Amino acid sequence: MTYGFVINRILRYTGTFFIIVTLIFFVSHLMPGSPLKNILGEVTYFNLMSQNPEILHDIEAEYGLDEPLAEQFRIYLLSLIHFDLGYSYKYRQPISDLLIFRLKWTMVLLLPAIIFGAIFGGFFGSFAGWHRNSCIDSGLTSMLLFVYSMPHYWLAMLFVLVFAFHMGIFPLGGITRGGLDGLDKAFDILWHMVLPVSVLTLFGAAYNYFIMRGSVIQVMEEGFVLTARAKGLTERDVLFRHVLRNAMLPLLTVIALDFGFMVSGALLVEIVFSWGGMGTLIYDAVLARDYPLLHGSFLVIACCVLAANFLADVLYAAVDPRVRGDVET
Amino acid sequence: MSGFVGKISKKLDLASYCACSSWPVLTGLILISAFLTLAAFAPFIAPFDPWVPGRPYLPPGDGHYLGTNDIGQDIWSELVYGTRISLLVGFFAAFVSVAIGTLVGLFSGYLRGTADQALMGLTDIVLIVPSLPLMIIMAAHTSPSIWNIIIVIGALWWTSTARVVRSRVLQLRDMPFVEAARGLGAGDIYIVFRHILPNTQQVILAKFILAVSGAMLTEASLSFLGLGDPLQKSWGMMLNYAFTRGGFINGYWWWYLPPGICISLAVLSFVLIGFGLEERGRGDLKAGRL
Repeated sequence: MTYGFVINRILRYTGTFFIIVTLIFFVSHLMPGSPLKNILGEVTYFNLMSQNPEILHDIEAEYGLDEPLAEQFRIYLLSLIHFDLGYSYKYRQPISDLLIFRLKWTMVLLLPAIIFGAIFGGFFGSFAGWHRNSCIDSGLTSMLLFVYSMPHYWLAMLFVLVFAFHMGIFPLGGITRGGLDGLDKAFDILWHMVLPVSVLTLFGAAYNYFIMRGSVIQVMEEGFVLTARAKGLTERDVLFRHVLRNAMLPLLTVIALDFGFMVSGALLVEIVFSWGGMGTLIYDAVLARDYPLLHGSFLVIACCVLAANFLADVLYAAVDPRVRGDVET
Repeated sequence: MSGFVGKISKKLDLASYCACSSWPVLTGLILISAFLTLAAFAPFIAPFDPWVPGRPYLPPGDGHYLGTNDIGQDIWSELVYGTRISLLVGFFAAFVSVAIGTLVGLFSGYLRGTADQALMGLTDIVLIVPSLPLMIIMAAHTSPSIWNIIIVIGALWWTSTARVVRSRVLQLRDMPFVEAARGLGAGDIYIVFRHILPNTQQVILAKFILAVSGAMLTEASLSFLGLGDPLQKSWGMMLNYAFTRGGFINGYWWWYLPPGICISLAVLSFVLIGFGLEERGRGDLKAGRL
């Protein structure tokens, strides 16, 4: 693979990230309501305003809010480079520390769900596409269309109702009971992961199922499949050596694009299971209108999504020579 | 030329869609008509005013078919009135997003060159930004109202429409009938809106249907996060209240199951139609059997 391609992509994603950062800067500094009120929170702001407004001026100077906008933007970029995202008034601690801790727990849910979702979705999707219009295809398709139509958090609520509330086989929520360590703690966390990961896996599988099914159906209409059949290859060989090899490619990029979709899902599912990751963090930030925390969370999520897409681009180019432009198409 | 245009308009003919359509499309249409009926005749169907409080936490039974919530509002009536808000948000947000996407796609495909690169660069950026977290920020900064939600959803959901419309326009712009129009002295704006736009109707319709379902789901998510309009009864807001005011923890299933079922069925109806159209579009007549 050429370095030019990788450098091109790095530049592109860095550019995109810069635009996102600029957008967040303008949102946080120019949206209705004073930026200082957003940084301190309404309660503190109005308390200070009524008791000693001169402190407000000091804080304003400290954050550089009395400077011209260009200077404010420079300060903002500098603080981002030092990974200083500000201070959360809801949690009373630096946002960057909070985010690193919470992101870890979201990834614990997300990564297994993405992997299982891709495996199940890819497998059943190629099966249904290959046996298009069979009973199994119709059954799977209608079931997954229904899953696809449900709000993520509502399916999570259903799972809690059935498996935790009525049957009592899984915990109602949380990450761990606490007071455990070592292997016991690991098993307890796994135990708490089962329900949220299953919900997310189901959504990931539904999403990948339709991509894979469509992809297989499309490839099957290509001329080379007819040629393969005409050569007298067995159905098995046609499927594995000709259809799946080509149909797999879209799935690869979709898994990365999917990352954004899965993150959104995970945020909502976490809230239902009171799983202490980014989702509950954003939920608390919304309820407390803790804007610096919201902006920081968004930047971190955007960073992860961009990284996933970059990885997918490079992988895709490594697998498919047509993308990187080495071969004439 | 007339043959080509005739073929396109024949494909668009809704009556022919219904006459020989597959079961997903039919099921979807029936479900949508049911919800539209609920929305249109809400005051006659709902037995109570959904805003009037009464005895709280009543389980389903006489009078209150689906019980009551924490301040005694009748849940069945809330559901019926909620249909209005959910469909309204779905349709308007889809309209905004498809309108933006169509304009971007039309101009980027027709003008090509620098304009195309700039518009598609913008589309790539919007496509990659995680939309739900950005919508959360935008909704948190503005005052909660359904119109703000509609704008927020519309402003971020247009990318796929833009891409599809653009690739269709790229096919169309070099076709003989466009060249003929240009040869007759028609201006760019005239060609784009009178000749190219009508021929992209089919892809726009398919995107619109999917956008409605996406918008309804997003409204439900934003409302669940507490960013919905507290002055309107939408299904998402019902779920939000059921979750935050103890309906979920105490297991009052009649409070949070019905709105979820309604959202799922309403979204499903649009997804089914979109899916059915896509299967037909694959050019395989067997799709009708699915």
